[in-house]
Amino acid sequence: MEGDIVIAAKMVGAGLATIGALGAGIGIGIVVNGAVQAMGRNPDASGLITTNMFLGIAFSESIGIFCLVIAFLLLFVV
Amino acid sequence: MTKTEEKKPRWRWGFNRYIVLALLIVSAIAAGRYAPIQPHFQVPAELLSTEPLFTIPFLNAPVFLSNTLTAILLVDLILFLIAGIVYFSTRSGKLVTRGITGAIEGFLEALYNLTQTNAGKWTKTIFPFFATIMLVVFVANTMELIPGVDSVGLFEQQHIEDPAACNLDTIGHVGTTEIVGVSGATECSAGVVPFVRVVSTDLNFTIALAIISVVSTQIIGVRALGLNYFTKFFNTRTLFNKPFLGAIDFFVGIIELLSEFIKILSFSFRLFGNVLVGTILLFVFGSLLPVFVPSGILIFNFLVGIIQAFVFGLLTMIFMSLATVSHHPEEAGEHH
Repeated sequence: MEGDIVIAAKMVGAGLATIGALGAGIGIGIVVNGAVQAMGRNPDASGLITTNMFLGIAFSESIGIFCLVIAFLLLFVV
Repeated sequence: MTKTEEKKPRWRWGFNRYIVLALLIVSAIAAGRYAPIQPHFQVPAELLSTEPLFTIPFLNAPVFLSNTLTAILLVDLILFLIAGIVYFSTRSGKLVTRGITGAIEGFLEALYNLTQTNAGKWTKTIFPFFATIMLVVFVANTMELIPGVDSVGLFEQQHIEDPAACNLDTIGHVGTTEIVGVSGATECSAGVVPFVRVVSTDLNFTIALAIISVVSTQIIGVRALGLNYFTKFFNTRTLFNKPFLGAIDFFVGIIELLSEFIKILSFSFRLFGNVLVGTILLFVFGSLLPVFVPSGILIFNFLVGIIQAFVFGLLTMIFMSLATVSHHPEEAGEHH
């Protein structure tokens, strides 16, 4: 299945798949916004807030990574 | 300045900066002489042996020696070594342990306290899963820092039916690296297949770990709540009392069942995607800017690996502690 247009379609598909990183970026921004505001109100709870912030960042980032996995799947496997 | 203030010694630059400078110069010279080549990736693990090691009898599945198999064996060796050191050092009876034992003790104590705030009664059952998954994935992701992983390997030519059709013609030099063009068959390529590849980039490992985690969650749920645990999925409790709300509850239960399978995919692809993308990025930047930039990407990969290990274990622990809690207000307390 290796015509020129198939390779071009693969490249375009991989490029379009990374639009999902937009959601990941916005999500991480919202999580860190909430964490920084909470740390400003209550500096004593810094450790707890930081732990939960990293948890939230990992969740949000994994959705962006799913999109990247699809892009790499299109480029290298199909 | 009062007299009670201690005089701290002035901070001075250390000796290590000369070592870093020497290594930078060596890498710049090496990148000039031996130019980096374009990397080639494949998602499945590369096979190191052409014949299978053994064949699983019931499934007729041949097991080859792949480079992630060597990596997981190394991870096991390292973990057994650490376990042996900790065991013999805790048998000696000292109250305050130092070195590796002290580090592992502090680490496990932090995880145990975290488990205790979430799990309550079931901490002693849930904690081994959390700690084991986190230790295995942590060691597996830290192995990419060892020099030789992902870089030292066999030089092979891609297996094609007619090797004589692949003529390698030199079209130029960069430093002492010969740039070859391949004329003839379209599927010719040659490259270095590493002996050890980071284990989390293999989908077999991550899916296996995810299946272990989710199935163990169900088993712990059954141990906590008895067979009534499955009314979480097939919720016919209110189906006959209030038909409309009961139908919605039943539908929600079916979606919960689907979500258990989605958890397997989500766990495995989160770890797989993060580590694979980091490895691909490392190789691509290593071929574009070989001198100093890959160090930054390596640090980022290291941090991402640690965070993903923690997240995998933490999510397992949270789902297990959620499984031991009964959802329905009619059941007071858990059954054994």
